[in-house]
Amino acid sequence: MIAAAVAGLALGASYALLATGFTVVFGVLRRIDLAYGASIMLGLYAAIWLHREGMAGAPALAPVVIAVTVLAAAYVERLCFAPHADRPPVTAMAASFAIWMQLQEIAVLALPLHTYPFPSPFAGAWPAGALGGIRPEHVLALVAAAAIGLGLARLLGHTRFGLAVRATTENRAAAACAGIDTRRVAIAVFGLAAAIGGVAGYLIACIDGQVAPHFAMRATLDGIAAAILGGLGSIPGAIAGGLLLGLVEAAARSAWGPQQADLARYGLLLAVLAAAPGGLAGIAGAARRRLAARRRASGRRVGEASAAGEA
Amino acid sequence: MDDFHLAILANAGLLSFLGLSCWILLVAGMVSFGQQAFFAIGAYVAAFGTVTGALPLPLALAAGLGAGAAAGTLLGLITRRLGGFRFAVASLAFAEAVRLGLDLLVLRVPGPGGGPVGPGGTDGFGGIRLLYESGTTAGGFVALIWGTLAAVLVLLTVAERTGPGRGLRMIGEDPVLAEALGRDPGRLRLAAAAAAGAVAALGGGLFAHYTTYVEPSNFGLMIGIHGLAYALIGGLGTAVAPLLGVGFDIGLLEGARAFQSYRMVVFGGAVAVFLIWRPRGILDEALVARLALLFRRLADRAPGPGPAGARPTSPQDAKEPT
Repeated sequence: MIAAAVAGLALGASYALLATGFTVVFGVLRRIDLAYGASIMLGLYAAIWLHREGMAGAPALAPVVIAVTVLAAAYVERLCFAPHADRPPVTAMAASFAIWMQLQEIAVLALPLHTYPFPSPFAGAWPAGALGGIRPEHVLALVAAAAIGLGLARLLGHTRFGLAVRATTENRAAAACAGIDTRRVAIAVFGLAAAIGGVAGYLIACIDGQVAPHFAMRATLDGIAAAILGGLGSIPGAIAGGLLLGLVEAAARSAWGPQQADLARYGLLLAVLAAAPGGLAGIAGAARRRLAARRRASGRRVGEASAAGEA
Repeated sequence: MDDFHLAILANAGLLSFLGLSCWILLVAGMVSFGQQAFFAIGAYVAAFGTVTGALPLPLALAAGLGAGAAAGTLLGLITRRLGGFRFAVASLAFAEAVRLGLDLLVLRVPGPGGGPVGPGGTDGFGGIRLLYESGTTAGGFVALIWGTLAAVLVLLTVAERTGPGRGLRMIGEDPVLAEALGRDPGRLRLAAAAAAGAVAALGGGLFAHYTTYVEPSNFGLMIGIHGLAYALIGGLGTAVAPLLGVGFDIGLLEGARAFQSYRMVVFGGAVAVFLIWRPRGILDEALVARLALLFRRLADRAPGPGPAGARPTSPQDAKEPT
């Protein structure tokens, strides 16, 4: 039971990382990078290829995945986002979709089998059944996601770069007027999101123990689903949305089976889009505003009463 | 014409329906990654109509078209408050949900021949043999596909010149301005979603009868992105434009067999580079306006100097609106 909950949370933690990647890019660029999952997939396939050629051991794969993902993201940014900076957002999105197909195809042409095993860094180092069946990959995912979440909060909340990112997210034109190079901020955020995505991809591959061509689709849709569930543009929302999606998916999978769980996930995404396009962050924001309004109203009443008392 | 070229023509015609479906939504400013869902719905409904022997082909195609329009309306209602990428994501989720739903759909009924017919989940839906049993030749079928396509093109070209057609283009370019000028973006977008669903479903119905066998994996994202790319490459200026996109892809595929396995690599890259160069396609509004001007000048010149009232606008006026 605990192991199952940890598994669901670990899955959710990886979704939370993917959602964070989508959300920070959306915050700064107001655009969605549909090639995100494919960039990560290329990173994973490059790592597997190097491992099969005997050029990289299991522990060295994480940096390879992250580096190749960042390189692929740089390519996507140059081709799909930089040229369309002043055009409607859908053009960049359509271009990134085309590049999704291209990157996925490159990966499949390099490694054409249906699935490839992904070596775990814990192979043989963790006795099976230790800690009530909790798998080390799950623990790694939770620890890594927590570390990245705290690091990101520190980076965005307490550094000059973070201030620039927040200013650009809030109001791009005003940030540019204040002397922030919003173009460079956008590129840096794109790279940051890719690095986070690389970590997420590595964690998912370790948990699954294998990588298949549909990884690009899954990572993109799971990340977007979690980001929209949490409220696009909100990092706490992305984390909450990811954890929620992981738990829901784990529960649906054990209750109904994998195919039905996939169907349930798309149904959930459609339902959230139809009923609350702002997601959890939108709902929380509305509740906070209502609460504040009520507090203001009651405060005024208290103020009036005390003023009357003084008179 | 030999069978090989007939097959290419049939495929080009069938894919054009998907491209047109995406084009209708793009004109309204909506990017859909999910028109393959309506292609699938049309294919399944029309095929079910003929394999059970309940409907002749025209009625079966009409039933598929109706189902596609209904499903398009449903997607339009679900997404009525969504703009831009949220609509795109919703259309993608919708299409994948439809595909997964078809994976689970098993509806085997006794057919006219006695054996069970109908969709069989992941095993696919076979035996859609009405046209082969009625002795239609390949050439006849290609003529049917292209005849239907021509009818749809004429309808769309006429619809473009009506009030709602112009309204659709207005909300695609500036919904706020369109609303200020008395257009109802919500209703127009719903109509666009329904029409796009109907066009894709009509193509799907023809597709099912052409291949005689369909399965849910026929209607994955790959075919969806192709439909979208046809509309984007062809251009948003005229309904004929998506056919240009189809020609580009099929030309690439058939003209350079060496590319075969690199098709998506070349195609994906070509679309991305292309969008930098012409974000609204080959035949965008500006080029269509310029071509119309050219035609008018030629027509004017033929019978002598044209009447003063038909004075063409200058090319500067036809600049692409931003």
